[in-house]
Amino acid sequence: MTLATATEPPVALPTTPRRGRGRTQLLPALAFLTPWLVGMVLFTFGPMLYSLYLSFTRYDLLSNPEWVGLQNYALMGSDPRFWKSVGVTLTYVVVFVPLLQVVSMLVALLLNSRLRFLTGYRALFYLPSLMGASVAVAALWRQVFGADGLVNAVLGLVGIENVGSWVGDPARALGTIITLNLWAFGSTMIIFLAGLRQVPRELLEAAEVDGASKIRRFFSITLPMMTPLVFFNVLMGTINAFQSFTGAYVVSGGSGGPVDSTLFYTLYLYERGFTQLQMGYASAMAWVLLLVLAVVTGIFFRSSRYWVHYGDES
Amino acid sequence: MTKPRSRRLLAGAALVLGVALTSTACLNQGPAASSDGQGEVGGTIQVAWWGGESRNAKTNAVIEQFNEDFPEVTTETQSADYAQYFNRLNVQASSRSLPCVVQMQDRQVNDYVKRQTLQPLDDMVASGAIDTSKIPPAVLDGGRGSDGKLYFIPYGIAWDALMVNTTLAEEAGVGAPPESWDWDQFVSYVSQAKDRLPDGTYAVAAGGEEQNAFYAWAVGQGIEVFNAEGQLGFTKEQLKEYWSLWLDLQEQGIALPPDMSAEEPPGADQGYLATGQLMVGVLPGNSLYVSQQTLDGRDGGQLQAARYPDGPAGIGNILVASGFGISSNCDNVPTSAAFIDFFTNDVDAQVAFAADNGAPTNTDVLDALTAEDSELPDLKRDELEQYRAISEDNPPKVNYPPGFNAVFQQAFTRNYNEVAFGRLTLDQAVDSFFNETNASLG
Repeated sequence: MTLATATEPPVALPTTPRRGRGRTQLLPALAFLTPWLVGMVLFTFGPMLYSLYLSFTRYDLLSNPEWVGLQNYALMGSDPRFWKSVGVTLTYVVVFVPLLQVVSMLVALLLNSRLRFLTGYRALFYLPSLMGASVAVAALWRQVFGADGLVNAVLGLVGIENVGSWVGDPARALGTIITLNLWAFGSTMIIFLAGLRQVPRELLEAAEVDGASKIRRFFSITLPMMTPLVFFNVLMGTINAFQSFTGAYVVSGGSGGPVDSTLFYTLYLYERGFTQLQMGYASAMAWVLLLVLAVVTGIFFRSSRYWVHYGDES
Repeated sequence: MTKPRSRRLLAGAALVLGVALTSTACLNQGPAASSDGQGEVGGTIQVAWWGGESRNAKTNAVIEQFNEDFPEVTTETQSADYAQYFNRLNVQASSRSLPCVVQMQDRQVNDYVKRQTLQPLDDMVASGAIDTSKIPPAVLDGGRGSDGKLYFIPYGIAWDALMVNTTLAEEAGVGAPPESWDWDQFVSYVSQAKDRLPDGTYAVAAGGEEQNAFYAWAVGQGIEVFNAEGQLGFTKEQLKEYWSLWLDLQEQGIALPPDMSAEEPPGADQGYLATGQLMVGVLPGNSLYVSQQTLDGRDGGQLQAARYPDGPAGIGNILVASGFGISSNCDNVPTSAAFIDFFTNDVDAQVAFAADNGAPTNTDVLDALTAEDSELPDLKRDELEQYRAISEDNPPKVNYPPGFNAVFQQAFTRNYNEVAFGRLTLDQAVDSFFNETNASLG
């Protein structure tokens, strides 16, 4: 009886006192949230709104913005370098994102097997991601892929000579940047590896008993079970790829060269804003990128119902 | 319930936008009034310059001497490499937080003059706050903006030059270059050297993509690179003639191929001339010493600065002036003026600076550095003698219009290489260069 009385009040609590308690919790919650909210409003929403305003102005950073309406957006249509940067970025996204998934998945599958010193390998493969596409690594890459670099030296050992420069040739420069960024596959790989651990062993064993080959088991069980993670990695990879900057900036010395072959969208945006002092145009470019990313993300989410399988679905 | 909430949301958004707009409106308040620079020297000033490690150390040494002479002044310093320096300056200018004393060059000054972010220094010179009596008037003019006012006091002059690895030139059988030459002699010199140079070594840099080499070619022919309206002063035909000359040299394997040129590491101490892969390089004259130091480490030969080929109109070497100006948002003008005066005119300080950013404009300093008892290395002293010789030939001045720094060099290099890589025809590239550049200049 005592026990029943003790458990009764929470069940019997009317809604009004609960709301009252909610209100008393609101103030501390707001107090804890305020630093974040202030930061969000001042350093994220504020600048974003201001950049939206700037995108309708001619603004050279050094004098006051001058309202020009939609002119910056209209100018993009007739700017050949804008379209070059769109072409370079789209090529990069279309080649890099699928490659990143395949490489990460393959390494994750390898690390999911029962190898000796597995922990060491895992740390080793993740190491490049810690350095990522940093300035130092990009500078190193410039040397490795140079005409007299390590890559050509190794090719020379197997009889392939006079290959020329990888970063200095416009036909190959983008490929070098893709390789550079692919090197930092660790984060994607770790997510896949965690996913592989979650694939129910009994399903795989049942398939094995039924005589399914390793490849069949991967495509019919592992991959479908992993689709939520593939979705996440592809989405994040695509968003990041659209905003890729550092590697191209360092390898090309900030110019997007040779001859605009690595002129990424963000690199051109930076050049317009901070070198050519056309911050209005750069802001308009930033908003176009945001809209494109929103549309791409929307398409991903809409399409996910056809190919992403969650375990709790019937 | 929903109406007040959405109204509150709207009000919130309006507030954020309002704060953002008002704050930036406050940031751009127009230029400060010009000053004669007289007043109490004290308080704090910020000094900004571009340069690598060596220049940072030397500039800091000069600042220490300034602080010893003016103990009541606190000097805060900022430095960055050349390209990043101007990007940072632009951001600081946008928030009217430029350092009081900013290093400037004649190639960029009009960008800042046009936007009224620098103070004219003429009144400070007239009042005696900054002494320019030891700077030749033609050299001092390097610090003037397109409106004729003085915006920085040049303390160092660089000059465009050719750098010749004479050891390689001897091996190739062409010897050291003559004291003066024309463009035909120059082409014949590098062409003859080509066959006898070691594999992987080229006779000359890809001069077609170098704006400096183009100025030399153009002014030697009496062509005005930029006209009075701040637009391109040369014709498409003239640019085609210049680019064709270099495309031929590249095609024959005499000039550095475009892919190698594209991946050349930046900086005089890392480029192909410094690594011994190039016989004739295109560099500012004041980089001779730096390049030679790297070359010595590789036992790569001896460098010598050579004059650009002359044209029918005479000398083609351009002088480039660097010096300090005062930002219009500066609230300590007398101290800033005192600093500039010290940096430009104090002989001991400039001897310690050792002509790190070109030949000193102050003739007393130049004399001290080239005197027999000067501790300056011989090669550095040769640099200064060459500057003296070039400046006595009354070299022409290029007036760089606003927008020059942002567009010209990149567009010049990129469009030339579009032809060199075979992606555009010569006509297309020249048209593209003219459209792109004229849209941004002036």
